[in-house]
Amino acid sequence: MNTPSVIEDNVLSAWLDGELEPARRAEVEAWLQQHPEAAARVRLWSADRDALRARFASVVDEPVPQPLARSVWARQGYLAGPVWPLAAAVAAFVIGGVAGSFGGWQWRGQYDSANAFARAASPAGWVQRAALAHRVYAAEQRHPVEVNLATTAETQRSEQEAHLQQWLTRRVDLPVKLFDLRAEGFTLVGGRLLPDGPNGVSALLMYEQPGGARVTVTLRRAAESVPAAFRFERQGDVGLFYWVEGRAGYALAGALPRERLLALAQSIYAQQPTIPAESPR
Amino acid sequence: MQAPDAFRRQLLAAIPRLRRYARGLVFDAAAADDLVQTALERALTHWHQFDQRRDIVVWLVGITHHAFIDDRRRERRVRVVDPAEALAESDLQRYEPAPDIALRMDLAAALARLPPEQREPLLMVSIEQFSYAECAQALGIPIGTVMSRISRARTALRALLDGSECAPPARALRRVI
Repeated sequence: MNTPSVIEDNVLSAWLDGELEPARRAEVEAWLQQHPEAAARVRLWSADRDALRARFASVVDEPVPQPLARSVWARQGYLAGPVWPLAAAVAAFVIGGVAGSFGGWQWRGQYDSANAFARAASPAGWVQRAALAHRVYAAEQRHPVEVNLATTAETQRSEQEAHLQQWLTRRVDLPVKLFDLRAEGFTLVGGRLLPDGPNGVSALLMYEQPGGARVTVTLRRAAESVPAAFRFERQGDVGLFYWVEGRAGYALAGALPRERLLALAQSIYAQQPTIPAESPR
Repeated sequence: MQAPDAFRRQLLAAIPRLRRYARGLVFDAAAADDLVQTALERALTHWHQFDQRRDIVVWLVGITHHAFIDDRRRERRVRVVDPAEALAESDLQRYEPAPDIALRMDLAAALARLPPEQREPLLMVSIEQFSYAECAQALGIPIGTVMSRISRARTALRALLDGSECAPPARALRRVI
């Protein structure tokens, strides 16, 4: 048989993986017999392949960890998608009536999975910290916020709003927008900074109804620029909607029925500034 | 539109292999399982996109690959971990000393030094025994690219192992062949 003078390494490698057509395979085998150095090299690759297999073989024999098994059976899997369009996610909420309507076991799975999401979309616990901040500051009568618009004279309000917006934008390193929720019956009280992890800061905006109900919007630079669909979580009497858009993570917290919070979340979503993702998918 | 139970059972059955794949990719057992968890959640979201004529492991490894890419993008911004270091650490914690511990650590450390673009196809083909076509499908790249990346991965891995004092190539040869 005529054999070529040179056979490239990627062909030899494909031969090792059984990827060649029979005719080509025979050609390579004949060539290897005449080229012991190349044959030795391929034998080493083969040895490396076997060693790699042996190195990771034991992993498949380990029992499946409980959290992984639970996430497979979690009933809200369809909300976890990072690329779900908002409308579909909202529709799923309205139609499915998901949160809070499951038994303990399923709730547990859902909870774990929501935590996994929080880990995946933002450093752990941010949503929990947003709920905590809401609890602490929404109850505060005299100093709910650092920059208080409710106590600002009407003539200075727009100036003070501009100051608040610039200050938060600079500190959080995100274009912060003071969302207008008056159509939903909420007026802006003001804002404050929150410590967030070792190096980060979050911005908190507080809104209130004439009746006294307050909601807070917490914003931070998202760890991940991949958009993440609306998620809902209830922590005691505080409900939270949270999502990621552009480089910003949002959490809306309030002791309100889910539908009311959802309407507010939609309003915020519609107003949020467009922030280009740093690295497009 | 919940994923049907039959699909969930398929996922469950695929977890051991997904975990193995992830372990070769991120070198830390907990981080690997986080990656698998993300992949499972995405699979549940997109269950209707899975073509039952295909191998579910190939599909899931493809999802894991995308989740890994997303993770790396994030990691680059928040923290820098030397994968080889994390690997050596987890090795020390996880594996009982064995006569060939030096060899295994060296092999894994060498693997960790391969760029992911090479490591992933090498893992898919060597460990998961995917065909080049399946590997191309999972990574979304042409078969020819798979072929050249695997070849480069092998050459690079061998060079790393040859350059190491702990695991002379002769030993690898003796042990395995």
